[in-house]
Amino acid sequence: MNLAVSRNRISKGGLATSKRRFVTSVTLPLLLYESIGLFVLGWAFVLMFFDYSPGRIGGAILGLGGSNPFVGLGNFIEMIKGTSVQANLFRISLKNTLIFAVVVLPLNLAITLPLAWLLESIGRRFKALYRTIYFLPVLTSSVGVALIWMTMYNPQSGWINAIIRAFGGTPVAWLSDPRAGFANVSVAMWAVILAYLWQDYGYNMVIFIAALQGIPQELREAALIDGASPWQAFLKISIPLIRPTLLFVCVMTMLSSFQVFDIIQVMTNGGPGNHTQVLILDIYKSAFRYQNMGWAAAESFVLFLIVMGVTQFQMRVMRTNWEY
Amino acid sequence: MTSNTYPIDNNRTGKTIYKGKFFNQLLIYIALTLGLSFTLLPFLMMILSSFKTNLENLRVPPTFWPEIFTLENYRTIFNDPKLPLLRFYFNSAFVAIFNMVSTLFTSSLIGYMFAKFQFRGKNVLFGWFLAMMMIPTQITMIPSFLILARLHLINSLWGLVIFSMVDAFGIFMMRQFCETLPTELLDAGRIDGASEWQIYWRIVLPQLGAPLATLGILGFMGSWNAYLWPMIVLQKIEVRTLPIILTWFNSTHTGQGALVMAATVLIIMPILIIFMFFQRWIVQGFTMSGMKG
Repeated sequence: MNLAVSRNRISKGGLATSKRRFVTSVTLPLLLYESIGLFVLGWAFVLMFFDYSPGRIGGAILGLGGSNPFVGLGNFIEMIKGTSVQANLFRISLKNTLIFAVVVLPLNLAITLPLAWLLESIGRRFKALYRTIYFLPVLTSSVGVALIWMTMYNPQSGWINAIIRAFGGTPVAWLSDPRAGFANVSVAMWAVILAYLWQDYGYNMVIFIAALQGIPQELREAALIDGASPWQAFLKISIPLIRPTLLFVCVMTMLSSFQVFDIIQVMTNGGPGNHTQVLILDIYKSAFRYQNMGWAAAESFVLFLIVMGVTQFQMRVMRTNWEY
Repeated sequence: MTSNTYPIDNNRTGKTIYKGKFFNQLLIYIALTLGLSFTLLPFLMMILSSFKTNLENLRVPPTFWPEIFTLENYRTIFNDPKLPLLRFYFNSAFVAIFNMVSTLFTSSLIGYMFAKFQFRGKNVLFGWFLAMMMIPTQITMIPSFLILARLHLINSLWGLVIFSMVDAFGIFMMRQFCETLPTELLDAGRIDGASEWQIYWRIVLPQLGAPLATLGILGFMGSWNAYLWPMIVLQKIEVRTLPIILTWFNSTHTGQGALVMAATVLIIMPILIIFMFFQRWIVQGFTMSGMKG
């Protein structure tokens, strides 16, 4: 009580001014910085309604107008029903991005959840060791990951084909055969997915481990005493209890696979035959190789809508109460 | 399946359950070790290949252990005048350290302000931050590039760092931590006559050790491994950071797999070993943030 009174007295004095001065000196530069951020965002938003290329000298404001004409929703209409090469490529990359995300998510969960569960049930010292090693690829630069896997996928001297040959199979040109495929997905796509999974799975694993550690041990033990097998305890007790984490992990994995770029750019650069052309790669090429920045901005906006949609979905589901 | 038909008894007698437990543990270790080899073999292959001759590296089927163990690839890289590795290490280190220090400073300062000060428009400003946090950087990539081009900052390491001096996630995290600081502590400083900046520097910052470490190593790692944005901004070879140099080296040395693997070892291993020591903080940070990629 005493303290509260004295604090009140102080803030009525000269201290209030010095506090205000402090807040001002922090917020002013911040406001400036964030306004630049907002300006950049606004620019990105405006760009998508123009046919803009930085090589052309356009109008006075940001080079828009003039030889960089306003096209309204033209870019988006082109995306939906255009027949140009870039419109086709956009649709292909959108499809490939969706395939990538939809394949990666279940495979990732199928690896990380059981592994986390297994890791939870072993001794402490080993647990730390295993976790450190499993986490190594997450820390590795994705360019390094891509190069390592390119060596493994090498059609002649790579390890993967050596294993296939050892079992009497026919070797596959993993990263360059546009016709070979499995389950309607090209082998090149499978190849980059495997490399991506290898780099990424340690991440979800540590999150699941943290979640599993948060479950009260008594619940599991009670189930075991009641005669449940460890597997049943996992399915019926552990999984439902980590449901919020599970949802969170699903959404984060989805979002990051929509934004996949590094590994694919190095390993295939979108090939063979555009089978691994994904959205960010297409945006990057449109903007910086073909200087077609209005189009690229429109593509980015589509990505933005997807990301927002997934985030909104997550927030809505997260808001519902979880009762056990 | 049968194990759950004789529940309580076996828990008491112990023997069968011990056997079952041992068997289970064995299976668990086998499964985990399989996963372990899947994780480690690619690294091992990279290291072993880097000690082979380029000729041996092309052999079908591939050799596992190098037949002729050679350091030639490493020698070639160190003697390559077009590949001044130290310079590229310096570029990467400059970018990563500058990013780390600047975001740690802004995040702690702004987070502290949002946590402990009342002022008009505070909630609006904070909401603005949260909104900015959700926008993927790829969206603003194009106008950011155009701005840098106008400022003549393309091919400059400064151009690479100025857009990432404020990190919305960092501010968010620091605010959470600063809210737990006792206000009495700050007031005690005020009574003793410390200025607001001194309070931030002398009282608040020392309390934020753990979150600063987490955020710092996470930020360092993120910009060390960054690829897309540096590739756009740094077009001249001598200003490039390590990941872009690695792809460049790969594309200029096709067919020399062993040499490329040696370069990969040199570029990823040193920092990987350092990251390993900081792993606890990285894992902690990832778990808290859900930030990815």
